[in-house]
Amino acid sequence: MQKLACVLLVDDDSTTNYLNQLLLKRLGVAEQVLVAINGKEALDLLHVHCQTPFANCPVLILLDVKMPVMDGFAFLEAYEQLPADQRQATTIVMLTTSLHPRDVERVQQLNIGGFLNKPLNREKVDDILKKHFGRQLPAE
Amino acid sequence: MNTPAPSAAELARVNEELRQQLEEAQDLIHAIRTGAVDALAVQGAEGPRIFTLQGADQSYRTLIEQMNEGALLLATDATVLYCNASLAELLHCPLAEVMGRSFDEFVPPGFQETWAALMERGWTGKSRGELPLQTQTGALLPFSVSMNVLAFNETPALAVIVTDLSAQREITAIRAQVAEQNALLDRKNEELKREEAARLVGERAAAEATRVLEGIPQIAWTANPQGINTSLNRRWFDYIGQENAHGSDLGWVEHLHPADRPATGQRWVECLASGEPYEVEYRFRNRAGDYRWMLGRALPSRNAQGEIIQWIGTCTDIHEQKLALERIDQAQQQLRDNNEQLTRANADLDNFIYTASHDLKAPISNIEGLLDALLLELPAATAQSEEVHPLLDLMQDSVNRFKRTIEHLTEVSRLQKEHGGLTVPVDLAAVVHDVRLDLEPVIQSTGARLDVDVHAATVLFSEKNLRSVVFNLLSNALKYRAPTRPPRVCLRTWAEAGYTVLEVRDNGLGIDTAYTDRLFGMFQRFHDHVEGSGIGLYMVKKMVENAGGRITVASTLGQGSTFTVHFIN
Repeated sequence: MQKLACVLLVDDDSTTNYLNQLLLKRLGVAEQVLVAINGKEALDLLHVHCQTPFANCPVLILLDVKMPVMDGFAFLEAYEQLPADQRQATTIVMLTTSLHPRDVERVQQLNIGGFLNKPLNREKVDDILKKHFGRQLPAE
Repeated sequence: MNTPAPSAAELARVNEELRQQLEEAQDLIHAIRTGAVDALAVQGAEGPRIFTLQGADQSYRTLIEQMNEGALLLATDATVLYCNASLAELLHCPLAEVMGRSFDEFVPPGFQETWAALMERGWTGKSRGELPLQTQTGALLPFSVSMNVLAFNETPALAVIVTDLSAQREITAIRAQVAEQNALLDRKNEELKREEAARLVGERAAAEATRVLEGIPQIAWTANPQGINTSLNRRWFDYIGQENAHGSDLGWVEHLHPADRPATGQRWVECLASGEPYEVEYRFRNRAGDYRWMLGRALPSRNAQGEIIQWIGTCTDIHEQKLALERIDQAQQQLRDNNEQLTRANADLDNFIYTASHDLKAPISNIEGLLDALLLELPAATAQSEEVHPLLDLMQDSVNRFKRTIEHLTEVSRLQKEHGGLTVPVDLAAVVHDVRLDLEPVIQSTGARLDVDVHAATVLFSEKNLRSVVFNLLSNALKYRAPTRPPRVCLRTWAEAGYTVLEVRDNGLGIDTAYTDRLFGMFQRFHDHVEGSGIGLYMVKKMVENAGGRITVASTLGQGSTFTVHFIN
């Protein structure tokens, strides 16, 4: 399977980031995995990595909802305002634990690739690949 | 023709004569000028000609001089030929200056026409009228004038009598004042008579009322239209402890609770002014010094003219009712406060459950992930070893337990929000049938007998929740079976006014009635030998109550339990 060029993980829980990084590495999904601990840091990373045509701009962002400084919703609002070159071909998938009913409605109205319940696992990664990138993991 | 020339002596004689005449004339004019002698000055073609009044009767002249009215004679051009001293005085002008002057000068500009008309009529015979004259000082005074044509030595003159009206006017004014004063006195008298009559009527009415009021079991009173107490019946004096007193009590306010005085007084004043019925609640101090609540009511009584002649009122003891009402009010307030507190507590709890389930989920799924990662990293021999393998299994069990608990919490949190949510008519028999199929393995393994007696019953409920209710009740009946006998479970339904009733009866362990209250609480478990989360019955109760129904339990320890659910139709 052809690896994705770059995947960005955004979560304030470092253990979750560690496990997800480990999972993606084990599954051989991405050439590069970037990690941000909140929405603000994610925006900074996008700014750096999407600057030039040769840059390594993330094609998939796995986004947590509840984060300090800038949460998932605020990040999406800011993301909409970015110049086109910084949000090229990027799929955003929200990762949630249990959603408060008022947030469910909010998430469903968002223009994103989808949302998944934590924890991330092999099946969920495979689903994303099939749905958004037209590829799938090799059989175990 | 020759006329003989006069002799010198003749000329001297004529001359002497003429000189004498001239002297006389000069004296006369002087006398007239100084007012010493009355005279007539008649305007002739060759200038004014002077006539003495020697021809007039001396007595008339005296009369004219004596009278208070002004008298004057006017020439056709209104020159004053003669006037008496009174006129000069009336006009505040020296006599000498009046005579020879045109009378027009004393007529104010606005009355010249009136004056001219009077004169014109006067010259034709007679005329009279009233007009103001301007005195030398400039003041205007009212006068009446009457005119008459006279002839003096064949020269016509207008005799004018001028009467000062000032005094007369004053008298008229005084008369008017007197009349007014008299009228006022008459009115006052009338009023006094009416008041007296009204007072008598009022007194009679009051006396009558007082007699009637004595027969009333409440405190009763009368007051005059001004609001002053006129009588109180014996009940009042008994109440305040003055058995020997009677009649009115102007000191009644002393017994009124100070806090009730302003409002009572204000309302009383309003009612006195408007005639509206009076109604207040106030406290009066009794003989023991205790204040008791009274309902005070009063109505005005009126005479035939509709005027208020007195007020009749009563005071009814409402102390007990008032205190009861206050207690109810207090209780209601307490209830409202409690409700508010409970609502807040519920909201807090709800929030807590949500946050707890949410915040616990992340670390437990991390622990699970880390455990998986560890398993992959461990050499197979280590993982399968006698020491490590049970540890890994126990860790996985604990993680699973933890996750289940969180799921229950999430479920509870969902139910809290579902309150009053969507309900549809659900076929109870179909649900029971499905649950029975799901539980068939347990029924088989325990050798249980399940009797179902469901009549075509439809309940308004969420289908998923109804399933959950039936499942929980049936599986509990099997789970808490008595070890000494095969479980026997009986499920039946029937209709009651407004309800469909579901009953699940078992012959299981039963529970101590002391615990039945806590049976439906969250995380309550009464049997530790059986696997359970302690959330099932809490959820059942919650679902049933959310849909407007209720659940009860009857149980005997060691014999079995009966759960009864009332679904609202």
